[in-house]
Amino acid sequence: MIGKLNRNSTLFSSIISIVLGMLVGAIAMLLSGYNPISAYGALFNSVFGSASDMGETLRTITPLIFAGLAVALAFRTGMFNIGVEGQLIIGSMAAAFVGLKLELPPVVHAIVALVVGALAGAIWALIPGLLKAIRGVHEVIVCIMMNWIALFLSNYMVGKVLSNNSDSTEKIHPSASIRVDFLTDLFDGARVHLGLILAILTAIFVYVLLFKTKLGYELRAVGLNPDASEYAGMSVKRNIIFSMMISGGIAGLAGAVELLGTSEYLSINASLPGTGFDGIAVALLGANTPLGVVMSSMLFGGLFNGGSNMQYVAGVPFEVIRIVFAAIILFVAANFVKQLGSRKNRKKKGEKASA
Amino acid sequence: MQMKRWLGSLVAVSLVATLAVGCGGNNDKGTAKGDFSVGLVTDTGGLNDESFNQSANMGLQKAKNDLKVDVKAQESKKDDDYVPNLTRFAKDKRNLIWGVGFKFNKALPEVADKFKDSKFAIVDDNLGGKVPSNVVAVTFKDEEGSYLAGIAAGKTTKTNQVGFIGGITSPLVKKFEAGFTAGVKEANPKATVKAVYAESFTDATKGRSLAKSLYDGGADIVYHAAGGVGKGLFDEVKTRQAGKYWAIGVDMDQSRLAPEHTLTSMIKRVDVAVFEITKQAKEGTLKTGTEVNFGLKDEGVGLSKSSKVSPEVMKQVEEYKQKIIKGEITVPSK
Amino acid sequence: MLSTITNLLETTILYSTPLILAALGGLFSERSGVINIGLEGLMTIGAFTSAVVAIHTGSPWIGLLAGMVAGVLLALIHAIATVTFKADQTVSGVAINFLAAGLSVYLVKALYDGAGQTPVVNSKFTDWAIPVLKDIPVLGKTIFNTSPITYIALIMVFVSYFVLYRTPFGMRLRAVGEHPHAAETAGVSVVKMRYIAVLISGALAAIGGASLSISIGSEFSATTVAGQGFIAIAALIFGKWKPFGVLGAAGFFGFSVALSLTGQVWGLTEYVPSEILTMLPYVLTILALAGFVGRANAPAAIGKLYEKGSR
Repeated sequence: MIGKLNRNSTLFSSIISIVLGMLVGAIAMLLSGYNPISAYGALFNSVFGSASDMGETLRTITPLIFAGLAVALAFRTGMFNIGVEGQLIIGSMAAAFVGLKLELPPVVHAIVALVVGALAGAIWALIPGLLKAIRGVHEVIVCIMMNWIALFLSNYMVGKVLSNNSDSTEKIHPSASIRVDFLTDLFDGARVHLGLILAILTAIFVYVLLFKTKLGYELRAVGLNPDASEYAGMSVKRNIIFSMMISGGIAGLAGAVELLGTSEYLSINASLPGTGFDGIAVALLGANTPLGVVMSSMLFGGLFNGGSNMQYVAGVPFEVIRIVFAAIILFVAANFVKQLGSRKNRKKKGEKASA
Repeated sequence: MQMKRWLGSLVAVSLVATLAVGCGGNNDKGTAKGDFSVGLVTDTGGLNDESFNQSANMGLQKAKNDLKVDVKAQESKKDDDYVPNLTRFAKDKRNLIWGVGFKFNKALPEVADKFKDSKFAIVDDNLGGKVPSNVVAVTFKDEEGSYLAGIAAGKTTKTNQVGFIGGITSPLVKKFEAGFTAGVKEANPKATVKAVYAESFTDATKGRSLAKSLYDGGADIVYHAAGGVGKGLFDEVKTRQAGKYWAIGVDMDQSRLAPEHTLTSMIKRVDVAVFEITKQAKEGTLKTGTEVNFGLKDEGVGLSKSSKVSPEVMKQVEEYKQKIIKGEITVPSK
Repeated sequence: MLSTITNLLETTILYSTPLILAALGGLFSERSGVINIGLEGLMTIGAFTSAVVAIHTGSPWIGLLAGMVAGVLLALIHAIATVTFKADQTVSGVAINFLAAGLSVYLVKALYDGAGQTPVVNSKFTDWAIPVLKDIPVLGKTIFNTSPITYIALIMVFVSYFVLYRTPFGMRLRAVGEHPHAAETAGVSVVKMRYIAVLISGALAAIGGASLSISIGSEFSATTVAGQGFIAIAALIFGKWKPFGVLGAAGFFGFSVALSLTGQVWGLTEYVPSEILTMLPYVLTILALAGFVGRANAPAAIGKLYEKGSR
């Protein structure tokens, strides 16, 4: 599963995959009577258009990078962390708690909130990790269950602990915010915050961890071949637990960053936010490498943010973007272009040989 | 290899972008036309949610036709979209911008603070009493409408048991429960109200299960304030004997979901509010920096026209309505 | 007392039906060695298509059939991507979910003038009472007087068991999921078996989706399926990739939900907030897994790419 994706793809084939994906979307639009040219025009206008549009795109990208990294890291150890969703909720909840209930000096307050958010996410991910390591319980089930528990717990906390029976909490103390005027001004008021920089730093951290440290080597070894790793003296159980905790920590950080930077308050959620599931797509499309995750987050975030502008300007339902994205994933994952090419070649060779 | 591939992807995106924009891409950012322009942002429920978003949009469309104002509506996909969606309208220099739903209670003041030239309106939240100078907070006395639904239920029930299904526990939903319970008790002191919460606004199966349990437990009328969960209530009541088991709808006239079984619906005239406020804004008479509360008196809430409530009961409902309007009865909201 | 049990059982059935069907779908696919994380998407497309076709033909059966066809077509994409083009199975499944979520809501908007949901399905499945059996206390009112789709779900558990364990086809299918190379050597076409298995999973998951839109509920909207496909994956693993295991796991989850819901009607919320009570099914599932069920062994070749002749 790991790294096999697109092993032999080329520059050309990924360009074509994206173009083909957009073509699928264009066909869907044409069939239902929309003009794809003005729709895509609106989409790209918003990605590259004004500073604030670009800023909102960057804001969309930030949580995706975190979520993608969290999923990718766990994947490297052979763990499918489908629980990023819940770890993210818990991270937000914990950060909200610190941001609202503690009184600390600026900077310190924000750092404490971030750390607590990350820790909370790590603890939430520890449960499936431990159950997998000790009892052999499949992490996917526990993660899915933990997502829903996180949602209900967070809703309960909003109403009963973090606010006085309200639908949402007050805004956090300004000392805990990670919005900075410099960035907001740079992007003409868009809610770009320090989370973006943290996301990039986290990507570098994951890269160094995975490829430059002994722990990272073990994590990857366990993912590639648990039996051989055990034989070589590594503890598979320990690595599974580490992997889940670090992954959960990154997811928790994502939640904390979203809360401290983007929304600055916590509210009751009617359903799972979906960022964790988007993270799965981002991680897999990025071949579970940190750089790949950052790049695919950009593509993903750009399409999603551009999509709402497309709806605004061209009136095309936002769902087209989901179709386009699904098609791109499929074309890239199936290595469609490259395989078609090689099939043709093989056929030609076969013809020559038989001739 | 990876690097190359992805750089390639980005180059491709930019290429297609330039191309698309180049070949006559529509650069019209939807700039407002006409003298007065209105923007409306829905919450994540979307424009056609058969609930308050849809009702708000109806008001908006009426404003477009009757007042000849330029209108545009935008759906939000995530809670994070509220700020950019409101901002987009503000940058369009729209005169009045609506945020529909209590979920806008942080995003709307934030954007309003940055764009002092536009007026903003929020539905279903009073912003904790601190309404910014260019904002008007539109709220509804849901408890008053629910009270009337409670009167109708209390007078109609044969088993002296009625049920209430709430969505996610929150003060907004509690308002419905409180008003309804008070109405039932007033109309029929012997009747009991069993209130349950689905902790969801979308899971119709949960709604159906809860309704099943309530009816099987002896209730013959069930009211809901649970959004999509409530669809399950109508699915369940339809399997039961008409004329004996009833459901009461909410927000809009829901009788189409189960025509023979819908006793009445508590309707919340978000459309009336959106139209009225828009009209005032256009005429320049809108007072901002304050809360406007729509109740029975302003036809902001009430019972639906299509109703299976018997004429005698309806007469009593009408009497209570007058009492509330005159201020003789104050309906609890908690 | 009896009525309480009846009520619990009814809710259990209501909740388990879509889960059983979707999880059985996942079972076929995964037993052949193809991970199917796209169950959510397959259910969504099934729910959407059945609702639309039932509305326009007036027949829930034609709706159900159309839903199955749609599920098979979507599953075909998954099969082509994973079996023929050897795409990563998880990636493809995720793409299937995106595709179904986008396509179904997009089409609802296109078909019904921008609406967020289909109109009400008036010609939906109604309960069938089975003569004689329906008069048995408790069971009669629940298991023998229920929706045709629930009967299909229960029958499919037995059929799946029979097909997988008692027919040559089933043996081959399992062999392909455990030891594809050995199976190929023995003359079984791995590619063909996996295609068939994935297509069956599309049909079954689509029936599960249809149960939400034309049996339990009566419309399709973006939130009709709302995560049930993922719960079905959990039920599949919980049930250890076995038909009766799936029945037990889905039943257990449904029963836990029933407990948390009827618990409210009994007045448990006096002592426990409903938010906490709502967590019950999820917590119980984890406890059951940790305490009693434990290790789950997936089919050996699951998720692994199969290249002819490579080892």
